[in-house]
Amino acid sequence: MASNFELLSEQGLRLDGRRPHELRHIQCKLGVFEQPDGSAYMEQGNTKVLAAVYGPHQAKGKKTESNDVIINCQYSQATFSTAERKNRPRGDRKSQEFKMYLQQALSAAIKSELYPRSQIDVYVEVLQADGANYAVALNAATLALIDAGICLNELIVACTASLSKNNIPLTDISHIEEVSGGPKLTVAALPTAQKIAFLEMSERFHIDHLETVIETAMAGCREIRDILEAVVKEHLLHMGSAADWGRVC
Amino acid sequence: MGSSGEETIVCLPGERLCRIEDNIVLGVGTYEQNGYIYASKSGIVNIEESGENCQVVNVHKPGFHLTIPTTGDIVTARVLVTTPKFVKCAIFCVRNVLLENSYRGLLRKEDVRETEKDRVDIYKSFKPGDVILARVINQMEQSFLLTTAENELGVVIAYASDVRKTRVPMVPVGWSEMQCPLTTIKESRKVAKVLPESTINS
Repeated sequence: MASNFELLSEQGLRLDGRRPHELRHIQCKLGVFEQPDGSAYMEQGNTKVLAAVYGPHQAKGKKTESNDVIINCQYSQATFSTAERKNRPRGDRKSQEFKMYLQQALSAAIKSELYPRSQIDVYVEVLQADGANYAVALNAATLALIDAGICLNELIVACTASLSKNNIPLTDISHIEEVSGGPKLTVAALPTAQKIAFLEMSERFHIDHLETVIETAMAGCREIRDILEAVVKEHLLHMGSAADWGRVC
Repeated sequence: MGSSGEETIVCLPGERLCRIEDNIVLGVGTYEQNGYIYASKSGIVNIEESGENCQVVNVHKPGFHLTIPTTGDIVTARVLVTTPKFVKCAIFCVRNVLLENSYRGLLRKEDVRETEKDRVDIYKSFKPGDVILARVINQMEQSFLLTTAENELGVVIAYASDVRKTRVPMVPVGWSEMQCPLTTIKESRKVAKVLPESTINS
């Protein structure tokens, strides 16, 4: 490993003062927009993501031959979201790649047999990028799907993990830790069912540490799931009080 | 889970509600897996008594929720295009839920009436702009198949085709005719005998 930078200090603290297993501070909010059917805003550290969900609505286009739901994802990064101004907010190779990753992860969570020949549009916009952009985007998309009332098997949660120089696994790496040469493992999981819907890794490390790093990322997923659950329950209680718990249908 | 009291139970997708037993039935917003009932929506858990010793577990989301027409639903649609063989409609209401996006509906000539199917004339039953009540009988590739072959289904709002400026809804004068209250012109329509939905479904 050609890393000249030490991710973990001698006292066991990271560059921003966290311990190896600690997540960055997470804030999220549901129902931030009126126009979409579901919307959510999420901050994880300095990474800020907006997600909007439209649908399920009639599938457009003539080539819808399957009986399943069509999940149409769009991943976009604002031009001001990085230190250097981006020329193309979407359409480049990285956003196309993330779009397919989002589609793959969300299709594992959505109960597609309930929405035959329908289409669900998920739009994700990164307002500020500071590492783990895909993980925060997927978490925001999950919250937006819950806000839209789409039936899910379970919450799907994503988290990143890394490995320091002396082989200590780190959770929820930031941008500095990403570009410092440490490996980056992204896991999107269904925490209760203990299933992994998406797994991606950059850089190399020995296979002996893979299981440890995956378990570290799964622990981060479970922690994030608890945080998201608390936010959704608080939002539901707020909505229920406003609607006087009226019986629907 | 202790839902016998009046307290409100909030659940999330993937949350286990109870074990599957003989007297527990799956309701809206739930699914079954490995002998347990899980919630597939975030919302309020409702357990309703249905019959003797039978309970239905539902999960309802407060506020606005989306709906898709299913087979057997009574829908409200607007006639868009009429052809000699079928009518194209836009479904904008399902039961009593107004849709944000309209769905495409197709009403074939054979499904307009129960009797005398061969002698149905589409142009004497519907015109573009009419609002109709119909029942969903199937879902095709790009649209929903509708039928108005019941007495309670058909045109509920129609406008005379010669009056351009003041559009006044026509008044039904029979099961196959409507009359404009201004110009007293009569036009042929498949008129719906409007009843409450509970009467239709019972």
